[in-house]
Amino acid sequence: MRRLCYTQTVKEPRAALARAPRALAVTSAESPRDVDVVIIGGGVNGTGVARDAAMRGLRVALFERNDLAFGASGNSSGMIHGGVRYLTYDPEVTEKSCRDSGHIQAIAPHLLFRIPFLMPVPRRRHARILAVLMDAFFAAYDRYQPLKRGKRHTRLTPEELRQLEPGIEGDIVAAMTFDEWGIDGGRLCAANALDAAERGAQVHVGVTVEHIERDAEGTVTAVRYRDRHDGRGGRLTTHVVVNATGAWAPITASLGALAPVHARVRPGKGIHVVLDRRVSNYAVMAESIDRRAIFVEPWQNVSIIGTTDDDYYGDLDRVSATTEEVRYLVEGIARVLPSIRSARIIGTYAGVRPTLHAWGKLEDQLSREHEIIDHAAHGAPGLYSMIGGKLASYRLFAEEMTDVLGRRFSLSSRCTTHRSPLPGGEAEVSPFALAERIGVDAVAARRLVYRHGARAERIAERIARRPREALAVCTCEPVTEAEVRHVVRHEFARTVGDVARRTRLGLGPCGGVRCAARCGAIVAEERELAPAAGARQALEFLLHQARTRVVGLGPEQARQEALGIAAVRAQLGIARDESGP
Amino acid sequence: MKAPARVVVVVGAGAAGTAACYAAHAAGAAVVLFDGGPGATSLSTGAVDATPWEQRAAAAATLGVTLVAEPLPAEVEAFATALGCWQLVPAGGPPAWLATESGRLRSARGHDRALLSLAGLPRGARVVLPRVQRAEWDADALARALAADPAARELGLELDAADADLLRLHGEERIPAADLAARHDEPERLAFLGARLDRVVAAERRGGRRVDALLLGSWLGARQARAGELGERLGLSVGEVLATLGGAPGLRLEAARARLLGPRVDVVPARVRSVARADGELVVRTAPSSRAGDGAPTHAAAVVLATGGLAGGGIRYVPAEQDAPRGAPARARVPFELSLEAPVRLGVRGADLDITSSTLGPSLDEEGWPTSAAPSLLESVGLRAGAHLELAPGIFGAGDALADRPRTLLHAVATGLEAGRAAAAAAR
Repeated sequence: MRRLCYTQTVKEPRAALARAPRALAVTSAESPRDVDVVIIGGGVNGTGVARDAAMRGLRVALFERNDLAFGASGNSSGMIHGGVRYLTYDPEVTEKSCRDSGHIQAIAPHLLFRIPFLMPVPRRRHARILAVLMDAFFAAYDRYQPLKRGKRHTRLTPEELRQLEPGIEGDIVAAMTFDEWGIDGGRLCAANALDAAERGAQVHVGVTVEHIERDAEGTVTAVRYRDRHDGRGGRLTTHVVVNATGAWAPITASLGALAPVHARVRPGKGIHVVLDRRVSNYAVMAESIDRRAIFVEPWQNVSIIGTTDDDYYGDLDRVSATTEEVRYLVEGIARVLPSIRSARIIGTYAGVRPTLHAWGKLEDQLSREHEIIDHAAHGAPGLYSMIGGKLASYRLFAEEMTDVLGRRFSLSSRCTTHRSPLPGGEAEVSPFALAERIGVDAVAARRLVYRHGARAERIAERIARRPREALAVCTCEPVTEAEVRHVVRHEFARTVGDVARRTRLGLGPCGGVRCAARCGAIVAEERELAPAAGARQALEFLLHQARTRVVGLGPEQARQEALGIAAVRAQLGIARDESGP
Repeated sequence: MKAPARVVVVVGAGAAGTAACYAAHAAGAAVVLFDGGPGATSLSTGAVDATPWEQRAAAAATLGVTLVAEPLPAEVEAFATALGCWQLVPAGGPPAWLATESGRLRSARGHDRALLSLAGLPRGARVVLPRVQRAEWDADALARALAADPAARELGLELDAADADLLRLHGEERIPAADLAARHDEPERLAFLGARLDRVVAAERRGGRRVDALLLGSWLGARQARAGELGERLGLSVGEVLATLGGAPGLRLEAARARLLGPRVDVVPARVRSVARADGELVVRTAPSSRAGDGAPTHAAAVVLATGGLAGGGIRYVPAEQDAPRGAPARARVPFELSLEAPVRLGVRGADLDITSSTLGPSLDEEGWPTSAAPSLLESVGLRAGAHLELAPGIFGAGDALADRPRTLLHAVATGLEAGRAAAAAAR
């Protein structure tokens, strides 16, 4: 295989040790291939399978067209929730979700944070009966809470509710609390990909598969790929291709000359609105005008309002929120929390759910279940599609997929992804001790430890060698220079936007105006690109972020935008030109 | 206030307001300036442009002509000289070339005196960036980026980083750049900086490396540019890069304004709430919270509104949803307003602003940010002016507050001078 300019195959002693013995009998009968499995898609399912398959000893290559967590995985509500909505008609799904949520906590404790929810019951016909029913419902949910170390629910009086969240208005008859866990989807994907790579997998980010080759019998033989950054392409032979591309699944299937209908999804766009700070201590549920459940949740350093669910027919690489969608959410939340109108919106993000296809159902009624399609049934042996799924059950979905691969390759090893910690989850690190040691403030150290867990030590080592890297590139989050260099070098980031997805650089109130150019310079240096390429990336990032903000402008943010435009014009210029004197 | 018939009130103390005061005073009017606090001028970066630099650069590239500094009205040049903190380049010659903190070189019509214009250096000059432990200042990366810029190559410049020890007190790695700049207003501290830079130059020369200029961060004085003094002391060119908004150049501009207007103009530190016409004169009222506002209105024969645009806070974005009553739609409204009450019209793209046909407000999805083809709505919306920048009888507009004008310092000055002159004439 021709070596890609950007292939990170991290080789560590433990990778070799961790490799399970594999049964070679079956595969040796086949012609030799570069890898056993090509996984297409760098979301949570793709990286999850890459990790599991690499742990079981398969030779894996993962291709991601845009970036890890670029689609639904990085643009979700940021929760590993227990599937409370399935409780009434499919309690098994709830149990599975809760159990898997517990597993994720066990393998990546640093990435999870508690989000207590408040669910007010507004006065309407039969509201009191509804409250009793909800009480019973959440009592049933409580049975699963121990699986994910969740707290039991409580029923609150309206007075107790207002004590907890004084901003809540309206005629409320009662309220419930329930417990969920937050997570950073971008970090989860990065951790899975990193672990896969450390166990020998190839991880190609920004590299798109253009064609899935099949032989005369229809069997998968290879993939052809192209690096979207430098245009370089190549071919990799493989026994199996796993299509884990979420909403892109039918498109990916068609690359193998398969009818897209065989990997059909019903893409459902969901947007989220980001506020400049944590505006409440608890997540608060509300109803949209069409009685959908929406919420505002404190999440990392910000608050997030979510979410919509609408059929999507646009370009999956360019999904963005619109003013209409933002207002739909804000108006819904404002009925419970009127002060939300004056909160400052600093951004929006949008993703597309890969829901199982069904005609004639409303978006919210679509199943969030997942299924594996073996395209042998469609004349394409060796090609599998992972359809549907949700963040909370990614590990289980990946396990099921890898079990299929295990049977295909007659592996004797079993899944251990629920027991082996993800990178960073091996040990606990005290942010305060770290702060003192590397000379950053406690907040910066706390955020660093949140993102990297025990791996924060490696960034600390960088800083010990080069103290200037302790300086903050992004002061909003904050993110140090050492962390930016670390994610470019070890976590497959290739652009300023990629760095942002891994570190939240530039996603704070300044919108990247103060840090994008500096980050671009670092990325360019780390990747040995021309400085102008770094500046171009910075400008692209700034313009992209600006587009996500203008759909939610309020009075204060509008002024910030005008200043931001002036700043970008002064430093970089809006229109690119390369003219000299 | 006495002698109402001759008083010209200027609202806003940015570049446009300062120019309006200057021109109205020169034309013989008694001028009262209402300074409502920092605006876009206070946040200026140190680049002084007439037309947006990127447009000029793009136009020159398209036409295949050499980029030159455009001619300016004589009165604009005279004002710049009087203000004292700007260095403009001669018309028809090469533009100034400024190094930005983001690592590219950009052309400019002029610059704050503390900034180093690389166009002024001889071909083949070697520019040294001292290494300083500050977040905005990675001397090596910056030198590399600037050296790779096509403009630096055409100017034949060499840029390199060199070891230095320019910080003196504990914690100076983390203080804002403007605070560090203010420390260099102290003569003794400036001497310290000079001595340390001397060492940098000496070490370079010992190593057989030339030093023709020193490029620093935005640290060289908050009350006045200290670059010239330093340069003389060291015998070479010293100057700052173009920093991002909110640095020392804005502070130096404010200080220069105070020096220019202090002897000429009555400055009232207060926000104006309304300008209204009554009994043949204009009545200016300040906001009740203003410190200096004694509640008494100021009577004027003419008023210049130099309140700034959206960036400066002179114009506000007020989508209807902001004051929607609970559960009910808000009333339809014009989504922008002037920050004070006055009988003037807001417009954009040559037309008056209209109400938005939504009870929640406009959708700025497409117009919120500029593209290379069109400016943003947020930087275009403003006051609609007629001949001599008159907005309404006796009321004139200047600077970023005007609709559809480039948001540049020299354009603000040009309109400020014109409005100030027209106001003085109207007051006569």
